[in-house]
Parts: sequence; C-alpha cells; structure tokens
Amino acid sequence: MASVTLQHVEKDYGSLRILHGVDLEIADGEFVVLVGPSGCGKSTLLRMIAGLEEVSGGEIHIGERLVNDVAPKDRDIAMVFQSYALYPHMDVSKNMGFSLMLKKAEKTMIDGRVGSAAKRLGLDSLLGRLPRQLSGGQRQRVAMGRAIVRDPKVFLFDEPLSNLDAKLRVHMRAEIKALHQQLKTTSVYVTHDQIEAMTMADRIVVMHDGYVQQVGAPLDLYDRPANIFVAGFIGSPGMNFLPATVEKGGKVDAVLADGQRLRLPDGLPLKDDDKLTVGLRPEHIRLADDGALKAEVEVVEPLGLSTQFYIKLDNQQVCVFAMGRAGVKPGQTVRLSADPAALHIFDPVSGSRIG
Amino acid sequence: MTYAMSEIRSAGRPRKKRLSYATVEPWLYLSPAIVLLVAVLLVPLVIGISYSFRKFSAFKSEYVGLGQYQAMLSDQVLGQALVNTLWWTVASLFFQFFLGLGLALLLDKPFYGRKLVQAVVFLPWAVPSFLSGLTWAWLFNPIIGPLPHWLFALGLKAEPTNVLSDPATAMWGPIVANVWYGIPFFAITLLAALKSIPSEMHEAAAIDGATPWQRFSKLTLPFLAPTIAITVMLRTIWIATFADLIFVMTEGGPAGSTSTVPVYIYVSAFKSLDKGYASAIAVLLLVLLIAYAIALIAIRRSLVRHV
Ligand SMILES: Nc1ncnc2c1ncn2[C@@H]1O[C@H](COP(=O)(O)OP(=O)(O)OP(=O)(O)O)[C@@H](O)[C@H]1O
Ligand SMILES: [Mg+2]
Repeated sequence: MASVTLQHVEKDYGSLRILHGVDLEIADGEFVVLVGPSGCGKSTLLRMIAGLEEVSGGEIHIGERLVNDVAPKDRDIAMVFQSYALYPHMDVSKNMGFSLMLKKAEKTMIDGRVGSAAKRLGLDSLLGRLPRQLSGGQRQRVAMGRAIVRDPKVFLFDEPLSNLDAKLRVHMRAEIKALHQQLKTTSVYVTHDQIEAMTMADRIVVMHDGYVQQVGAPLDLYDRPANIFVAGFIGSPGMNFLPATVEKGGKVDAVLADGQRLRLPDGLPLKDDDKLTVGLRPEHIRLADDGALKAEVEVVEPLGLSTQFYIKLDNQQVCVFAMGRAGVKPGQTVRLSADPAALHIFDPVSGSRIG
Repeated sequence: MTYAMSEIRSAGRPRKKRLSYATVEPWLYLSPAIVLLVAVLLVPLVIGISYSFRKFSAFKSEYVGLGQYQAMLSDQVLGQALVNTLWWTVASLFFQFFLGLGLALLLDKPFYGRKLVQAVVFLPWAVPSFLSGLTWAWLFNPIIGPLPHWLFALGLKAEPTNVLSDPATAMWGPIVANVWYGIPFFAITLLAALKSIPSEMHEAAAIDGATPWQRFSKLTLPFLAPTIAITVMLRTIWIATFADLIFVMTEGGPAGSTSTVPVYIYVSAFKSLDKGYASAIAVLLLVLLIAYAIALIAIRRSLVRHV
C-alpha cells in the first residue's frame, strides 16, 4: 500500500492543454473518487497515474517514489478498465493469473491467489470459462479479480460500472466498497456519476475542464460547495440557482428579479446593489403558511417516500423536495420559506462561494 | 371452453397446410439465384469433370473411364509439376505472409508519412499480373535489367547471368515476383485485424507486466489467429492455381523446372491438345486443395476457441 501524490500535474495534447496543474494528495489506504462531466480529463489523469499517458508537466509520486518515467508494470498498480479489457482467448483463471505467470511465479502460488480472489468475488465456478461466456457483471468481477490477484499498492478504476444495468451497478458499488474495507488498498476511482462518488468515496475530487474544482469528503462538498459548478454537480435533485441583488435595510436581503425577498445570513461581506447567485437545495425550501416566498406549483412528482415538486419562482423552475406526501396540486399557489443558514451565496461572475 | 377448443383446432389446421407451402416458398424466391449458380458454377464443373473420363484427339473424343487417371500414375512430368507446385506455393506463401505481417505491424504504429507508405505498399496489387510478370522478367534479364549485376556485385552469383535460364534457380524468379505481388494482400487483411484489437487490452497487458514480445506472442497472435488461418487458406489456393506470373516469365521452363500443375494443365490442354488429360489433372488439383482446406479448417477449430 502507498500514498499517491500529484504535484502540479499537466497534460498537453499538442498545443491543447487538457489538465491545468492538478495538485492532489491521496493518503495510504484512502478511497478517492475523481468525478466530473464527460471530457473533463478524469480518465487522462488516471491513465497518467497508471503510466499509460506521458506526463507533460509536474510530478507523480507513488509512495516515496517519483514515477514520471517509470513503466506501468513497475509502478505496482492495477487498473480496472471500463471495457474490462479481458484477454478474450484466455479463460477466467488465466486472465486473473496472467500477471503472476509473467512474473514466473510458481504454479501453486498462482493457483492459490487466483483461487482466493475467485472465492472472494464469487467466481469459483466460472474459472474455466472464456470471457465471451460470461455476463457483463461476471466480466466486471473478473476484471476486479485480475486486479486483486496482483496485490498492488494502488487500485485504479476507470468507470468500471458504467456498462452494467442500474440494479447491478448499485450492487457492485457496495461490493467494491466492501472489498476496499477488507483490503484497505489505496484506490482511485473515476466516474461521471455523482451518486457513485457520494456513496463510495472517502474523498471526492470534482474536476471540470481540466481544473480541480474542489476536494473534500462527500458531505463537505454537499454542505459547502466551493463554487457554482460543484454546487450544481453534487446532489440530486440538483441545487436551484436564483440571481438576486443585495439590499440592506436593517437586515440583509437578496432581492429576486420579481421583487420577492430572501433573508440572507448576517456577517457576509456584502454591500447594497451587489449582484449574487443564491443557491437553494431542494430540501431546504419548506412549505410554510407564513413563508416569505409566494409561487405557483407547476409539476408534482410523488415518489412515495418523498415528493418533488417544481414551482415557478422568479420566472424559473425551482425544485422543492419534501418528505412524505406534500399535499400540493399543480396550479396551486403556495407560500414557502428558506432557512437563511442553508442558503449558498455565490459571486455570479467568478462563480466562487461568498458564504 | 368449446369455443376455445374449436378456435385452437381451426388455427391448427390451416397452419399445417401453410407449413408445407412455407417450406417451398423461400426456394421460389431463391430460384433465380439457384438457377444462376447452377448454370455458372456447377455446369462447367460437371462438364470439366466429365471431360476427365474421355480421351480427345484431333476430330473425335471417346470414353475411356479411369484411363486418364491411370495415365497420371506413370507421368513423371506430372510428379515434377506437383513437387514444383508445392515448392512454389510454400515459398511464396511463407515470404508473402511474414513480410505482409511485418508490414502490417509496422503500419499499425503511427509514424510520419504513414499514409504515403501505406499507399505505396498496396500498389503492387493494382498492377495487372501480366505486366508485373513482364517487368520482373526484364529485371532478371542481364541485358536490360539491373538485378543480375547487383547479385553479382554482392557475390551471390558467380556471373551476372539470368536466374530464369538456369533450371536450378529458375523457380526463384516467379517466386520473388509473386512475393512482391502478394504482400499487399496479407498486409491489408492483417492490418485490418490488428486495428480491431482494442488498445485497452494492450494497456492491461502492459500493466500486467508483459514485455512487447510477450504482448505480441500472447495477445496479438492469438487475436490474429482466425484471420491468419482463413487468409493463409485462401492464399494457398490462389497461389497454387496461379499461373500468370510463371507463364509470362518462364513458360514452365527451362526443362520443366518451373512447370507447376496449372502450367502443366495449360500445356496439356492447348499444346498437346488432350483436354481429357488436362481435366483429369485439374480434378486432382481440386481434390488436393479441398483436402488441404478441410485440414486447415479443422486445425483452426481446435486452435481457436475464442471466436
Ligand atoms: N489522444 C488525444 N488527443 C487529443 N485530445 C485528447 C486525447 N485523448 C483525450 N483527449 C481530450 O482530453 C480531454 C479529456 O479526456 P478524458 O478521456 O480524460 O475525459 P474524461 O473526463 O475521462 O471523460 P469521460 O467521462 O467521457 O470518459 C477530452 O477533451 C478529450 O477530447
Ligand atoms: Mg473517461
């Protein structure tokens, strides 16, 4: 096991810069998830840690060792690919034992390791099958088994679950997490699915356009997103954003374009006429008869356990989340309130958090 | 209940009738194609085979049963032609395949000017075989071609004479021309197969610790195996029956040293005018090639399990 340290890592393809100086410290045994929209450079970063892409700038350390110019096989890492990349002409046990065979390990030792990994993943009865004779979920397990057998210092996962159906994905998510708790191997996991990130990660790295936007524990990102991008990316249903202007009169209010007012928390560095973007999580808007906000309900989505409904506020659709049955109907006008402490205030120009 | 029963029965009866019609119907649609196939493929084949049971002379032909086949048994020229065919086929195939594979591997890697090299490599295929035969014959001719002088300068030949006029070396002339002519086929097909190997598989192997040679022998080759089996089979048959180059360059000579079976068939049919004997040899070649194809397909089945 080992830590992974990235110092100002850059990646260029020709004159195009894909990664703009990524700094990241991954502790020994930590499960870190890289998350971000398609094309943000997550896979590229992971492949640079694996040694499959050259490093254009900066330094990558695995443990104490600088690995910028170390070949993939000498980095002591294992990678699980999105396509699984199994060897089609080898059966499951050969696939899993391939790396040990190349190291000229003894046959009994290979069989022992493959056997125990297979047992752990429930692959015992499939060892003689070829990849094409396996289901998607089984192939995924074989890919994991191939990684486990090597007993590497670091596991790298590139969207390993994205080819599975929704139910199996939830199941394998839990299995990977359980596996990590047993093996305690440092893991870097790439996904574009924020739910996977929230459920699996010790720490999440949110990326966008080749920049790291924020690094933190899942709930820290949820509770205190550093900017509008992170705020909108983390959480489902997503955060609502409303443009507003500051008005100070005794208390600080954010005035929406349609004149409605939201009370802001005290002690923020704001002055009159400052432009703001106010972020409101759907669960922080409550139905209240004496609420300051008035809006018309447009769509109601009852989910049984909870209800999501959309209101027309300030000419925007705003999502509201309530536990149980909310008892609202489309077309109805409701009063709502929002706790000032639960508001997220962003600078609309830079996008970064004010409070 | 009764309603349901009668329903089922009435649904069952016409289905039975329709079934017999249904078995005939597709054949009706296929009939134009079948007629065409029979006319174009089978009729000439059957007529050709039937010729092999007859003896032709200037103005008549007579049925001789297996007489032509018996004559083959004591034909030493045919024996020589079979040996020549084997030699011609194996040597051409060997060099075409390995040089083609090498080229395909080279063209699979990105390098500056790859597009141009690719176009040039595939050019020989576009040259008519007669033209390339003539060109190579001239290249080997010491009066107008440079090759004998180069071979002499390199010390490979005692004198700058024509390779094609010495029975001991004559076969190399058409073989070299054929290798040049056939490399593009293997290069194209193997390159296409190489391109279909997912790059992640090689990356996984690189992480697993495979050296480039191990990646080639343990991943690339097994992946190419089905393509190799089928292309080698097709190519063997083509080469074995391919007479253009030999005919243009040496006409089977000198002293029959480059006379392969197809050349001998041609000579028998049009020079000694015995179409019956020529047909019998053609049937022999056909049987040998079918046996070869069956053997290769069986080997391929047992070796390649993963497709
Ligand atoms: N070989 C390449 N040449 C040029 N640009 C590339 C190359 N590979 C990737 N890119 C670019 O780098 C950027 C990041 O790609 P990357 O594969 O890391 O995205 P990603 O975050 O993994 O996205 P996804 O979620 O779709 O997998 C993309 O904009 C892509 O177009
Ligand atoms: Mg990716």
